Amino acid sequence: MAGQKLGEAIKAVLDVIGLGLKYTIKPERLTIYYPYEAPDYMGRIRGWIGLWTERCTSCMICARICPTNAIKMYLEKNGRRYPGIDYGRCIMCHYCIDACPTYALYPTEIRDFAFYKHEDMIYTPDMMRKPPQVPKLVPEVVKVVHEYRNGKVVKLRVGKLEEPKPLPPAPSVPVVES
Amino acid sequence: MGLPSWLLSPRLWDFLVDGVVSTLIILTIVWAERKIAARVQMRVGPFHVSPRLGGYLQLVADAIRFVMQEVIITADSYRVLFVALPPLFVALALTPSFLVPLSPHLALLSRPALHYGILMGIAILFYTFIMVVGIGWAVNNRFAYIGAAREALIITAYEIPVATAFADMFMIYKTIDPIEIVAKQMYIVGAIYNPAAFIVYIIGVAMATSRFPFEIADYEGDVATGPYSDFSSIFLALTYAGGIYIALFSYSLLGALVFLGGWAPITPGPWPADIWGNLAAAAFLLFKTFVLMLFFVFLRSVMPVARLDHALSFSWRWVLTLGVIATAIAATEYFVL
Amino acid sequence: MGLKMEQYGLVLKEVEAGPGGKKTLELLFGPQHPSSGHIRFFVEVDGDIIVDIRPDPGFVHRTMEKLGETRHFIMNVPLFERLSLPDAINVTWAYSMAVERMLGYDVSERAEYLRTLFGEMSRISVHLYDLALHAIMIGSSTGFMYGFGLRDLLVNLWAIATGARTTPTWVLPGGVRRAPPKVFYERLAGFLDFLERKMDEFYRLVVKNPVGYYRLKDVGHLSKEEAAAYLATGPGARGSGIDWDARRDMPYGVYKQVEWEVKVHDEGDSLARTLVRIEEVKESAKIIRQLLKIMPMDGPLIGHNAAHKIPPKDREFLNEQVRMSGYYVTTTNLAEGTGLTEGGRGRYFFQVFGSGTERLFRVRISTPSWQNLRAFMKATIGARLMDLPAIYGSFGFFPPEADR
Repeated sequence: MAGQKLGEAIKAVLDVIGLGLKYTIKPERLTIYYPYEAPDYMGRIRGWIGLWTERCTSCMICARICPTNAIKMYLEKNGRRYPGIDYGRCIMCHYCIDACPTYALYPTEIRDFAFYKHEDMIYTPDMMRKPPQVPKLVPEVVKVVHEYRNGKVVKLRVGKLEEPKPLPPAPSVPVVES
Repeated sequence: MGLPSWLLSPRLWDFLVDGVVSTLIILTIVWAERKIAARVQMRVGPFHVSPRLGGYLQLVADAIRFVMQEVIITADSYRVLFVALPPLFVALALTPSFLVPLSPHLALLSRPALHYGILMGIAILFYTFIMVVGIGWAVNNRFAYIGAAREALIITAYEIPVATAFADMFMIYKTIDPIEIVAKQMYIVGAIYNPAAFIVYIIGVAMATSRFPFEIADYEGDVATGPYSDFSSIFLALTYAGGIYIALFSYSLLGALVFLGGWAPITPGPWPADIWGNLAAAAFLLFKTFVLMLFFVFLRSVMPVARLDHALSFSWRWVLTLGVIATAIAATEYFVL
Repeated sequence: MGLKMEQYGLVLKEVEAGPGGKKTLELLFGPQHPSSGHIRFFVEVDGDIIVDIRPDPGFVHRTMEKLGETRHFIMNVPLFERLSLPDAINVTWAYSMAVERMLGYDVSERAEYLRTLFGEMSRISVHLYDLALHAIMIGSSTGFMYGFGLRDLLVNLWAIATGARTTPTWVLPGGVRRAPPKVFYERLAGFLDFLERKMDEFYRLVVKNPVGYYRLKDVGHLSKEEAAAYLATGPGARGSGIDWDARRDMPYGVYKQVEWEVKVHDEGDSLARTLVRIEEVKESAKIIRQLLKIMPMDGPLIGHNAAHKIPPKDREFLNEQVRMSGYYVTTTNLAEGTGLTEGGRGRYFFQVFGSGTERLFRVRISTPSWQNLRAFMKATIGARLMDLPAIYGSFGFFPPEADR
C-alpha cells in the first residue's frame, strides 16, 4: 500500500488542526441571516407573476405553454377569459411571460411567499395585480450581496427590502427587464 | 461565619459543585462544539434562540424538546434493557466525577476510599461503554446490531492503551492517591513528565467517547447512528446526544487530574477556613477539564471518520506501541526521580 | 425454524449464501438511510465484508422520456433540467443540441461562449455537490459545508444571470435565454479566486488528512478494463485511467478555443475519482478565466434560424433576452437529432425524434449515474461495510438522474 508516510501523515494532521484553529479564531462566514437579511438579485430573479388584464387578449398561449399546467383561464364578467396561476404548481420558469405577445404578464422578483391553505395558492385574474402579502417576521429586511475582494468574500448591504407593491397601471410601451 | 455546620460539609459542596458545574460544562461544550464547527465551516451555528448569547439557549431548547418528545419503544426491542440501559449509562458515566476530589479538601469520599478514587473511576468508565453494546442488543435492529459489534471491538482496542497510560502516570508519581498525584505536579504537569502517555490518553479517550475521527460505532454513513438508531426523545438525550458528553466529562476530569496537574498551582488551606481557595481550586480543575473537552469536540470540525479496521489496527499497532514507549519512559522516571 | 424474531433477534435473519456457503446478513441500505439517497441497496455482508449488493432503483422514477413526448418540445427544457438540478446547464444543453440538430438550427457565437461558460459553472456546481456529499459520507461535516457553501455562492451568481438559483431554464434550442449582467462577470472572476483557495483547503481537510486519505485509498478498485466493460463514465472512468472526455473527443461549444486538459488518474480507487473531481474543478476555473477574456460581450443570443421565428418587436432586444413566443409556434421536423455533452458526472446523451407536430415522437435519455451504477456495484463487492459510503460517494451517484 503506497500510502502516506508516517511523517507526512502527522504533518497533515497538524496541518488540518492548524487550519481548524485558524478558522475557529477568525471565521470566514458566508451566512446570510435570513429573516433579517435577504440576498439581492438585482431584480433579475424570476418570481411572482402579475397580470395587466387590460392588455390581455385572451390568446391563451400562456396557459398552453405552461410546462406544469399551472395556468387556468377564468371566465370573467365581461365575457373574456384571463389567466390565473396556481402557485402550488408554478415552477417560476416565466415561460408564460416570455410567450405573452402583448406583454400582459409582468415579472416580479417576489420569491418569499407562503400560504396557509392550498386554496390560497390559486390566484384568479382579479388577484393578479396585488402581490402576495408575506407575514413580516422582522421590522426591516436588509438586502445583501456577496462581493469578492482579494480572494475573500465580503457581504455588502445594498439597501432595504421593500414591501411588495400593487402593480402600476399598464405602460403603453413594452416592458423589458434588465 | 454563622452557617450551620452541615451547610459547610465538604461532601455537600463537592456534590453541588460537581453536579452544577458539570451540567453547565456539558451544555457549554455541546454549544461550543456546534459553534466551533460552524466557524470552521463558514456558517454561524446556533443563533436565533438567543442572538445576544450566541444561541446558547438553543441547547436548553433542544433539551426541552428531547424531554417533551414522545417516547417510542419499538415493538421488536427488548423492552427492559431498552428502558433501563440509557439511565444506567448516564449514571455510570457521571459516577467517576464524584469519586475524585475537586480540591485537596473538597471530596465526596474520605481517605481510605478516596485513595482509590481515580482507579475506581477508570474501572467504572470502562464498564460504561459496555452499556452501549447492551443498548445495541436491546434495540434489535440490524444497524444497531452492527454498531454494537463495532463498539465491542473498539472497547477492546482502547481499554488497554488507556489503562496503560494511567498506570504509567501512577508509576511516575509512585502513588494512586489523587491528592498526592496533584501535589507531585505542582511545578511540572504530567503531560510533560510523559508526553507519550498523554497522547495515548488523548487517542484512547477519543476512541472511547466516539469523538472524531473514531465515531465508528455510531457512524452515520453506513449504520445510521448505530446502537442508538431506534432511540428518540429522552433516551437519545441520555445516550447519544448527552450521555456520551457526560462520559467525556468524566474522562476529561480524570485526565485533568492526572495529566494536566489538577488544581496544581493553587494550594488552598483546610476546608471551612479557606472556602474560596478550595472553590478556586475546584474551578481551576474544572476549567482544565473544559479545555480538554474543548479539544475533543474541536476534532469534529477537522476530521472525517476512520474505518473500523484501520482504527483497530491503528490502536493495536501504533497506540499500543506508544503505550509501551510510555511505559518505558515511566519506568525510567520511576528509577530516576 | 418456528422461532419468532423477538426471541432470537437478528441471528435468524442470516441466510445461507449458496450450498455450503457462509451465513450472511442482509442489510437494507436506503431509501431512508442518511447516506443512501433515493435508492435502496440490498447489501449482503459476511462479517464486515460486502459479498453482494443488489440495487433497487426507481424510487424517483418520473417517466421523463414519456413526459417528453406529451408536450411541446420547448416545455421539455424545464422538465429535463430536473433530471439533475446540480448539473442543470449541461443537461439542457444536451437536449437543446439534439433539438437543434433535429430542426437544423444554428447557434450564435455569443451563445456558444455563454453556454460553455455556464456549462463549466455547472460542472463546478455538480463537482462541489458530489464532493460535499462524499465528504459527509466519509464523516467530514466540514467538507460538506465547504461544498455546499461554495455552491451557494455559485447558484447566487446563476440567479442574477439566469433568473433562478437552481432551475435556470436557460439553455434554449438555438441559443440561450438571457444575457448575464456586467456585474456577473466581475463577481465570477472573484468567485473563482475564492473557490480555488477553498478547494485547496478542502483537499487538505478531507483528502490529504490521513483519516480521509485511508478511507479513500485502495478502496472500491475498478480497473481500466472493468470500467470500460461496465460503461463507467465521467470521473468513474477517468479515475480508472480511461482518457475520454466528450468535451475534447466529441467537440462542442467553444472548448477548442481554450486551453485545458483532461484529468486522468490511473489508480481506479475512490481517491483517484475524488482527485479527478477536485482537479476538474480547477480546470473548469481555468477555462472560465480564459473565456472571460475572449468572450464577445454583445451579439444576438440565439442563432439566425431560431431568431427568424421571433416576432419583429421581440427581436429588437435579442441581445438581452429571448422571448418564447417564436418557439411556441415552431413544430418539430420529421427528423431526428442527437445531443451529447460532458456533464460533471459523465456524459449526457439525448436523442429526439420529431413527429411533425409540436410534440416530439420520442426522446431518449442516457444519464451518467445510471451507467455508473453497475461500475459502482462492481467496485463495491469485496469492500468493507464502512467503505460502502466512501465508494458510493466517489461515483457521485445521483438517484433522480439515474431513475429519470
